Amino acid sequence: MPKTVYLDYQAAKPVDLEVIEEITPYFSDKFANAASLHADGDIATEALEESRKSIAAFINAGDPAEIIFTSGATESNNLAIIGYALRNKKKGKHILISEIEHISILNIAKYLEKNGFEVTHVPVDFYGRIRMDKLKEKIRADTILISVQYANNEIGTIQPVAEIGAIAREKGIVFHCDAVAAEELVPIDVVRDKIDLLTLASNDLYGPRGVGALYIRTGVLLNPILIGGGQERGLRSGTEDVAGIVGMAKAAKIVKSKMEAESKRLAELRDYLIKAILEKIPRSHLNGHPKNRLPSNAHFRFDFIEGESLLLSLKDEGVSIATGSACSSKTLEPSHTLISIGLLHEEAHGSLVVTLGRYTTRADIDKLIQVLPAIVERLRKMSPLAK
Amino acid sequence: MKSTKYSEKVLDHFRRPRNVGTLEGDDVAIGRVGNPVCGDLMEMYIRVQDDKIKDIKFKTFGCGSAIATSSMITEMAVGKTLDEAMEITRQNVADELHGLPPIKMHCSNLAADALHDAIKNYREGIKLTPVVDVPTQTTCEVPVSKEIIGVDALLNKGVYRDSSNLEEFRDKRTLVIENGEPSIELAIKLTKVTQRVIFMTPLKMVLARPELKTELKMSDVKVLLEAELVEVIGTESLEKVKVHDLNENTEYELFVDAVIIP
Repeated sequence: MPKTVYLDYQAAKPVDLEVIEEITPYFSDKFANAASLHADGDIATEALEESRKSIAAFINAGDPAEIIFTSGATESNNLAIIGYALRNKKKGKHILISEIEHISILNIAKYLEKNGFEVTHVPVDFYGRIRMDKLKEKIRADTILISVQYANNEIGTIQPVAEIGAIAREKGIVFHCDAVAAEELVPIDVVRDKIDLLTLASNDLYGPRGVGALYIRTGVLLNPILIGGGQERGLRSGTEDVAGIVGMAKAAKIVKSKMEAESKRLAELRDYLIKAILEKIPRSHLNGHPKNRLPSNAHFRFDFIEGESLLLSLKDEGVSIATGSACSSKTLEPSHTLISIGLLHEEAHGSLVVTLGRYTTRADIDKLIQVLPAIVERLRKMSPLAK
Repeated sequence: MKSTKYSEKVLDHFRRPRNVGTLEGDDVAIGRVGNPVCGDLMEMYIRVQDDKIKDIKFKTFGCGSAIATSSMITEMAVGKTLDEAMEITRQNVADELHGLPPIKMHCSNLAADALHDAIKNYREGIKLTPVVDVPTQTTCEVPVSKEIIGVDALLNKGVYRDSSNLEEFRDKRTLVIENGEPSIELAIKLTKVTQRVIFMTPLKMVLARPELKTELKMSDVKVLLEAELVEVIGTESLEKVKVHDLNENTEYELFVDAVIIP
């Protein structure tokens, strides 16, 4: 469990100790290939199919066969979007995504654009909610797919998923939803929300990394993107990682049992943090939606200072935290999400992403509240922008 | 290598920066490089006596390496003749700090440029005004803005000339284009109906009577200086605008729901 004041749960979560215990036998005693027909193989097959049932139940999917296990969210997103586009290109070549999708979706869209598809980005409002008027406006006769995340991984804004699902279903367009940021704390129901394709990741449930799942509603047809031995109904070849999959299923069960209480606990901590920071630090702002946001997410920006400097200063105080600043990214571009909600580049540079998790305590939050005002003040004293 | 993988010496200068501040006087020159839009703005103040840098201070908005290189170069330059100080390169600063992550070499190692700019301004007798304290200036005129692309198609669909009905802007990200004091008053008034108001002017500073300037500063209006509206973009209604950054001479997009033009 985290040794520092760890407030970067969106980036990575520790694996639940119960999960580790559950999966350990699958590395040694129960190691067999799920495709093998002998008794050892049967043990693996049974574990695999039980896990499939658990994940189906987790998102209220009617049939466990609608769940395909993958190597994680990136692969699930690739299979959903590229797999669906390639299989259905005769129906149309137009795809809609929101401006603030996860980078994996944005880059998949770019890849498809290079391969003859057309992608339109739907704008969001100042709080990061998709503009429904614009979504409706941009649907074309040849639109085959809409991909919008359940909640944003940076600013935590929860999308009106049921509304999007209703429009897509009415228009006969397939709706893909990347639910990775939301899955731990928001109850997902693919039937209620009319979702056709849904991406899940194991680590965001406190399960092992390198495992994920894609829900594919019965009747929605995809081309595989990994070709091989034909595992997972031919949609995802490669010997199943039974240990990882069992871990994901166990993690999902634990998450489900804790979800209501944990959401409430984190929302209280989050609101306590937001109130304190906005009160104590002048010219500080909350990014994202004031109410429709993940219980685990608080996203701030501070005028006149730069995020990486904040992050380094917090590191010296033993606080692990993230920023949307360009100066800490690989490309040196500011976060596309912050630009899409309408922030200026200089504002996006001064952001701080606080994401809480299962082991976050009131003491952790108090530590951040205690050290942050002085850090911001020190950096502002150095800044030529602060007047 | 991670972009934040810094040497101990970089971290030391970041944690305890030397010579932060400003200088004043006839023998002081200021150098300025960078742009907050890019995440870096650096100001270097030098006091020159007998052709030597007698005193040096800096102010920096930027990441860890921007702050550390600023601090480092002040230690390297003090006491040197102007010619010697002109010889200090970006590489010298990086070497003195025991290296910088490769990705930071270009973007954040502006300290040498800021120092050279200060020396150049000293020699040419150019007096920069510190960003920190821009004095009231009343002589410059608002430049005549060029035609904005796309206005006709989006007029009253996100682009407005008439702003008498404030309710029209409720909860909308609203961009107010400079049009004298009434536009500043409008921007301030709009903060009552929406959380996001940007006031954009091509000038280097806000021109208004002192009370109004103070009111603007205290308000939630985000002021965007040295920027010009180039284009309004949207299919059936406004989605975003294209902005020309006059200082950097670059263009970028800004997402807004409404624009009020003169």
